[in-house]
Amino acid sequence: MSAAVASPLWFGRVLLAFVRRELAAVGGYRTAFVIRLLGFGLAVGSLLFLSRFIGAVVNPHLAAFGGNYLGFVVIGILGTEFQQVGVSVLAQRIRLAQVMGTLEAEIATPAPPWMVLGAPPVYEVVISALRSSGYLLGAKLLLGLDLSRINWASLGLAVPLIIAAFAGLGLLAAGTTMLVRRLNPVAMVIGSLSFFVSGVMYPVTVLPGWLRAVGALLPLTHALAALRGALLIGASPGQIQGSLLALLIFAGVLAPLGVAMFGFALRRARIDGSLSHY
Amino acid sequence: MSLPPPATIEVHNLGKVFQAPGTLRDMMRGRLFAKPVEALAEVSFNVRPGEIACVMGPNGAGKSTLIRILGGLLLPSAGRALVAGLDAGAGTAEFRRRVAFVVGDERSFHFQVSGRGNLHYFAALHGQAPAVARHRAGELLERVGLAGAADRRYREYSRGMRQRLAIARGLLGDPRVLLLDEPTLGLDPKGARDLRLFLRDEVIRGGGRTAIVCSNDPTEVRAMADRVLFLTGGRLSGEAPPDRIEAELGL
Repeated sequence: MSAAVASPLWFGRVLLAFVRRELAAVGGYRTAFVIRLLGFGLAVGSLLFLSRFIGAVVNPHLAAFGGNYLGFVVIGILGTEFQQVGVSVLAQRIRLAQVMGTLEAEIATPAPPWMVLGAPPVYEVVISALRSSGYLLGAKLLLGLDLSRINWASLGLAVPLIIAAFAGLGLLAAGTTMLVRRLNPVAMVIGSLSFFVSGVMYPVTVLPGWLRAVGALLPLTHALAALRGALLIGASPGQIQGSLLALLIFAGVLAPLGVAMFGFALRRARIDGSLSHY
Repeated sequence: MSLPPPATIEVHNLGKVFQAPGTLRDMMRGRLFAKPVEALAEVSFNVRPGEIACVMGPNGAGKSTLIRILGGLLLPSAGRALVAGLDAGAGTAEFRRRVAFVVGDERSFHFQVSGRGNLHYFAALHGQAPAVARHRAGELLERVGLAGAADRRYREYSRGMRQRLAIARGLLGDPRVLLLDEPTLGLDPKGARDLRLFLRDEVIRGGGRTAIVCSNDPTEVRAMADRVLFLTGGRLSGEAPPDRIEAELGL
């Protein structure tokens, strides 16, 4: 039976079919799959030596995080990966579908465009969440990361806000990619800038004031502050309310802006015929 | 005297102008956009229910632009197209249910996935439940003669098999109107003939459908068309029965 209107059931079917197709394609990309697994192993290994090297030093900048550099950097990397997925995956998917030529055929089906393009980000966010859990578990079991003080209420509030803020950025990036038909300029700028000023590898307290101000304009800065508070020191929602509020503002501004931008880009593609251009 | 049945496709004064972003040279001359290119102008015609209309014209005449507008993939700059009773420009889900754009572009499938897997995915985009999708894909693969190769990866398919899979995909939603862009391009003569007969007799006539076929191949047009429309420089330059196309083309 066909779904007549765009419904969660229909989206579920598309998502299921997409996952099946991805899994079927994995067999055709065995080398890439093995390389990805190897990369994961190397990343966990590098954290081991980094934490041995830096963890031995008493650092006043880490006091707010329980002096735990390992936890600090693991969450920095996880947050960066989440942002990377949020900002890049939709744009990558559109670009790939344009280059492969599948986008036009998919858009020609009755499924609304948000459904056609929505399945890959959802799938990637789930994969990314699983990978992040793997990182955390690996860091706990192999490196002795202390996760005994997690505040689940803070985590439960922070994660949806983080996803919404990154999804808004992702829609903006995807719209831009459709318009310029080049690799994702938004992801490149946001990714590089965030890595520099959002406190991924070092606390933002080591930055000069003006760079800290730049960092405050990026969602990753607040995402990392909220996640570190919730995961490392068991901070309550009240203790991380500044970060949560900032994330709420980012989500509230970026998500509708992203939807509008993406809608505009899709309409432009139907005007200039670029659904299958590359 | 009874009135003729309503046209399944009604095209009124359709026009399309492309305006690409300017090159560096354009921008240095103070222009944000490149010179506009008029791909279609004042194109009007009707296609009756059950009719197969072929559109012929030299490369760059506007055939692909026309068929993409009729398929709702491209917005016209002027005029209007009603296909199966719905405005092509609105591009609603109901429109895309009634109208199938069968693109023979080899890049429009996933190469690492089997023919069956590709159809399952597109069936989901039609909103079909997994069990329905499996049944429908199996039925269509059988109909287009790909049942024996259904589980081979798409990258292993020959050109003819890829065209057949594209047709199967176009039929997933049981559309009323088919828009076919060079359906036998690049096929060997026998493969092309078999596919044309299959399309004409089983898919279009057998299914009570209406079709527009864009093609530059006189053999194909003679074999399939009830009526031929000629496009030249984006304008409709004439119309003829299929046995008169050589005269119209000056061959």
